[in-house]
Amino acid sequence: MGLTFAEKALARKAGLDAVVPGQILVVRPDRLLTHDNTAAISKHFYKIGVQKMANPDMSVIVLDHVVPASDEANATNHKVIREFVAAQGIRSFYDVGEGICHQVLPEKGHAWPGAVIVGSDSHTTTHGAFGAFAVGIGRTEAAAVMATGELWLRVPTSFKIVVKGHMPERVSAKDLILHIIGDLRADGADYRSVEFTGPAVAEMSVASRMVLCNMAAEMGAKNGVVEPDDKTREWLKGRVAHPYEEVHADPDAVYERVIEYDVTNLAPQVAKPHTVDNVVPVTEVAGTPINQALVGTCTDGRLEDLEAAAEILRGRHIAPNVRLLVLPASREVLLAALERGLISVLIEAGATLLNPGCGPCLGAHQGCMAPGEVTISTANRNFKGRMGSKEAFTYLASPATVAASALKGVITDPREV
Amino acid sequence: MKETKIKGRLWVLTDAEGRLYDDIDTDMIFHNRYLHITDVAQMGQYALDNLKGWQDFAKKAQAGDMVMAGRNFGAGSSRQQAVDCFRALGIGAIVAESFGAIYKRNAINSGLPILTLPGLTEHAHLFHNGDELEVDFATGQVVLNGSQVFQGEPFSQVQMDIYQAGDLFAYGKLLGAAV
Repeated sequence: MGLTFAEKALARKAGLDAVVPGQILVVRPDRLLTHDNTAAISKHFYKIGVQKMANPDMSVIVLDHVVPASDEANATNHKVIREFVAAQGIRSFYDVGEGICHQVLPEKGHAWPGAVIVGSDSHTTTHGAFGAFAVGIGRTEAAAVMATGELWLRVPTSFKIVVKGHMPERVSAKDLILHIIGDLRADGADYRSVEFTGPAVAEMSVASRMVLCNMAAEMGAKNGVVEPDDKTREWLKGRVAHPYEEVHADPDAVYERVIEYDVTNLAPQVAKPHTVDNVVPVTEVAGTPINQALVGTCTDGRLEDLEAAAEILRGRHIAPNVRLLVLPASREVLLAALERGLISVLIEAGATLLNPGCGPCLGAHQGCMAPGEVTISTANRNFKGRMGSKEAFTYLASPATVAASALKGVITDPREV
Repeated sequence: MKETKIKGRLWVLTDAEGRLYDDIDTDMIFHNRYLHITDVAQMGQYALDNLKGWQDFAKKAQAGDMVMAGRNFGAGSSRQQAVDCFRALGIGAIVAESFGAIYKRNAINSGLPILTLPGLTEHAHLFHNGDELEVDFATGQVVLNGSQVFQGEPFSQVQMDIYQAGDLFAYGKLLGAAV
């Protein structure tokens, strides 16, 4: 009997020929990703009673959540982290300005096919786009991984999502994944390994595949993954120097569910407040007034996302009374966007450029909302109160839909601008 | 050995219409504005303060109380504060129809007892604030007011072992691992 991606990747890591769903394994992950929460994790770590990490080279730390620090409490946390990094001899530390952990980690060569990556952030699933088994864990666990280099994992059952057709104009991976989450619900893939496959996924860029895997977390998935191909290998060239062995699901693997979608007639999608699975075609909410629009985050802050926004806003100006915030996902993305002139297009159109980082996505700083305000965002979460006031409203959409909405001042179908 | 059968006063997390809340996310449990807090003892006061109708939960709750919710409790972020805030309050156990995947791991690793009770939603009307709830982690049985019995999922072996040890760290020490 064949193995799914998750079964194969975990079996290999545990040194076994095969594993079955439900089996509990102890594995040594290849990378442990943590961010601003390393301050709290380091406290847990020292409480264990060990002084030195089992393997400091496993640790990747990116400051991204509240950067630069917005206040004394966050500044102190950052300071604690820098001291921890120095004390432990952690080499893969990326300070303020490098970008969002889920963009920086692959850019710096810490994700590769077959790698097992754990991170103290739910959107660690993003790295499945490189054929890695990548999962979010909590801080107790992250501290335990620092101390022991190991953690327990339950082998998940697997879903296979087969996507057919060609993506229509101005429709993107974000629209597809919102549609899927709306269909399967916020807990539809609870603790499942979700394999995204099919011709539409094969046609997608690596950046678009990252969108799918990133948001797999929003349907409760343990991990999301896309099979590596030439695009993956090309992307990783010059970033991952060491050899790696790709993991591909067996053709006769057993899935709990195989679900098919066809994108041929897919319309741009919008998740309405206050849950990610509250999804409708943009046409149903078109005309809703907005106060703020946001292009960025670990979901949609890459070059192709800024390009999609710039294409719509080139030579035009956003509506009066709308704030458009643009946050490139990393320094590398920002530099590439500058080189292509995308940043000037967006700023001339009225955008406010923020530094690479998580920005207002989690409501800590840089664009929180007042009561009654509405933001349309390319982020992955629209929970009540996430972006500031509990009485504010967040709609989730693609970069094209967000840019079109900023242009008109109301939620707008990007196919009509 | 720690008790594997515990009893406590129940809080049923319902909305304004009296329906059991589904999809209570980590921002409702522990809002992102408190993420800079690193001391677990400080987290209890903010538990559920972003869940409509339950903003004063931390003031009402007492150590040993039980909490009940619907589907997908703890959806969203991996933030462990959403588990630790209940530990800080001394909550006895959380019973829900289902839990978010990372939340479940965090709760297990922190030694906070959580019990999955499939089909809970259809019986939700039977449970009220102030009821006495007894939960047996070993058998998965949930007993309401000493009479009505519901069958939940018993603790898995690793969950029971970590719970008995206290948390993942203590469990690691018992195993004689590198910790």
